[in-house]
Amino acid sequence: MSTSIPTVRLNRVTKRFGEFSAVSELSIDAYAGRVYGLLGPNGAGKTTTIRMIVNITRPDSGQIELFGREITAELQDRIGYLPEERGLYKKMKIGEQIKFFAELKNVKGVEVDRRIDFWLARVKLSEWKKKRASELSKGMQQKIQFITAILHDPDLLILDEPFSGLDPINVELLKEIILELKAAGKTIIFSTHQMEVAEKICDDICLLNRSLKVLDGRLREIKESFGRNSVALRVEGGDAVLRDTALVSKLERHSDQVEILLAPGASAQDLLRRLVAARATVSKFEMIEPSLNDIFIQKIGEVA
Amino acid sequence: MRKLYAVVKWEYLQRVRAKLFIVATLLGPFVMSFFAVVPALIFSIDAGGPDRIAVVDQTGRMYRRVEAALAGAETDEDELPSDEPERDAAVTKSDDRSNQLARSQTGNLVLEEAVSAGRSLDEVKRDLNQRISRHEIDGYLVLPADLLEGARAQFFGRHTGDLFKKRRLEDGVSRAVREERLAHANIDANVVKELSRPVDLLSYRVGERGEERDRGEGFILVFACGFVIYLTILIYGQVILGAVIEEKETRIAEILFSSVKPFTLMSGKLIGVSLVALTQLCVWVLTFLGFSLFGVGMLASRGFALNLPHLQPLVYVYFVLFFLLGYFIYSTIYALVGSIVTTAQEGGQLALPIILLLAIGFYLAFPVIRSPDSSLAFWVSMFPFFSPITMLVRIVTQTPPFWQIALSLLIGFGTVVLLAWLASRIYRVGMLMYGKRATIPEAWRWLRQS
Repeated sequence: MSTSIPTVRLNRVTKRFGEFSAVSELSIDAYAGRVYGLLGPNGAGKTTTIRMIVNITRPDSGQIELFGREITAELQDRIGYLPEERGLYKKMKIGEQIKFFAELKNVKGVEVDRRIDFWLARVKLSEWKKKRASELSKGMQQKIQFITAILHDPDLLILDEPFSGLDPINVELLKEIILELKAAGKTIIFSTHQMEVAEKICDDICLLNRSLKVLDGRLREIKESFGRNSVALRVEGGDAVLRDTALVSKLERHSDQVEILLAPGASAQDLLRRLVAARATVSKFEMIEPSLNDIFIQKIGEVA
Repeated sequence: MRKLYAVVKWEYLQRVRAKLFIVATLLGPFVMSFFAVVPALIFSIDAGGPDRIAVVDQTGRMYRRVEAALAGAETDEDELPSDEPERDAAVTKSDDRSNQLARSQTGNLVLEEAVSAGRSLDEVKRDLNQRISRHEIDGYLVLPADLLEGARAQFFGRHTGDLFKKRRLEDGVSRAVREERLAHANIDANVVKELSRPVDLLSYRVGERGEERDRGEGFILVFACGFVIYLTILIYGQVILGAVIEEKETRIAEILFSSVKPFTLMSGKLIGVSLVALTQLCVWVLTFLGFSLFGVGMLASRGFALNLPHLQPLVYVYFVLFFLLGYFIYSTIYALVGSIVTTAQEGGQLALPIILLLAIGFYLAFPVIRSPDSSLAFWVSMFPFFSPITMLVRIVTQTPPFWQIALSLLIGFGTVVLLAWLASRIYRVGMLMYGKRATIPEAWRWLRQS
């Protein structure tokens, strides 16, 4: 993969607003046929980065290349963008609204109508085509916005918190479409602060915190490099052992099991032995990969 | 360019198809004439019943004449408080109506003679004052014994603020006094009336079409032109403000900016809405033309003559040009304002000075109509924020030399370019700033940044 030209390449890109650094020296490579996760807490610089990629704002320094070329207004037509802050014209009919946004991307004619019908059917909103946006629920509006981002069949799709506020069924629906687009060779940049979501959908990630890149690479490799130092277990008793900070650095209770991040230097075998010695009943004991959330918290902790 | 076209097209279609637009276009002329006519009507309403007025006649022989004069029995045409200085034999119908109006106004007085019966004037006045406070009468008129020798008549009333009434009393008494004096000198009043028939002043407008009769419609037309431009700029400026704020408030701007350049979007919006406004104006102008071609003739055949001044085709061209000029100057400012505020409410507040500026331009039309050749008229028709209204008013009243019109257009056009440059730079930053309204220093910084 890394031998081909990246769809999006940021090279030491910096953007400041007055004294405040929004993005510092950020370098990114996102490739076709993959989902690139732009992750980080609110205010990390994700939206500013995206705005520079879609050519809404310009970086103060550094280079941005799209499809191997310097960005131009023309290249904007190959990008689909679903911003985090998004809206529709309240009084405009849904069908016309989508058509308007499509024409702004230079797609027109009969083809547009065909695609509008196709996608409205796909997100199960066909009967809303002639309705005004103000009559739609928030979730429906969000699906419409999603359609406007993909209707012109962009090669690069940028989604900023696409699932926020959606019910699980619609999240599944959109996820399915995103994965189809990925399979069709599109490049997808997926920005979110929800690590659990990113974990399920991203191939590559870049963790941002306070304008700085904390970590990036293939999700698979990142997880492996952090090793299997977490344990999922179902246990009765042994609470004193679990509270021992020499063994356990972090403990998370779920409804039917606890997840444990082992303290540095401690081994899973030690933990199991101690639990047995404490006469606890262990019904599940499994080594698991750390969650992206754990990795993130750990990395931010290192920096801070 | 294709994107600009797309923005213009959608902006235009969405608005022209809106029910509100259709209704406003159809009802606009009615609403506007309503606003023009209603204040005049309200002004002329006489809310009270007839005024009961007692007359203390110390001359002892004037009461009958005054009564007759005020009741309008001997209405002299020359003495009527006529608001129509010119008269035309062809328009007898409308003359009749104005006469009736005058009579009914005079008939609005109920006169009685206050008998002094040997009492002193002070006693009589005391008595009448009491009657006023008992609401038996509304006032009384004192005609002193030496009235005919030039003494002043006096009026005492509950309220004396009504200038129309005062003038009516004055006219009536003067007429009575004059007739009495004439009778005294053994001159027949009818002969005098015949001899002193007033000269009508007919005004003609001297233009390239030769002499043209002007009976006041010219003024109304000029006023209407100024008013239509003023109102249309105001309304469509607000449309732009609302549209920009909507795109900012709903965050649509972010999607739009990822597809089109902010400048393209802004100018597309301004152009689209300008076409909407022009569509509306066209409907109105065509209605006006239709009316002046067919309606006037129809009305004339029913005895209601209306002499609409002939407008040269070039005036229509200037009308459109100056409308567009004014529209683009003001709506660009509106777009700028819309991009730095966060809510429609804030926008309304910040737009207030703009409306004020526009209103000043409109009111300046009045001195310009009265003396279209003055240096005031010249300067205000060069100042770009006023010129759309004032220059047009000059063109319609008394067309200034072409170089002045061209210069005014040029200055205006330069202003539009400058404003558009300014606005687009603030717009592109302002549209993506959420949360709070930008201060002037901030806007200034954006201007220099981008």
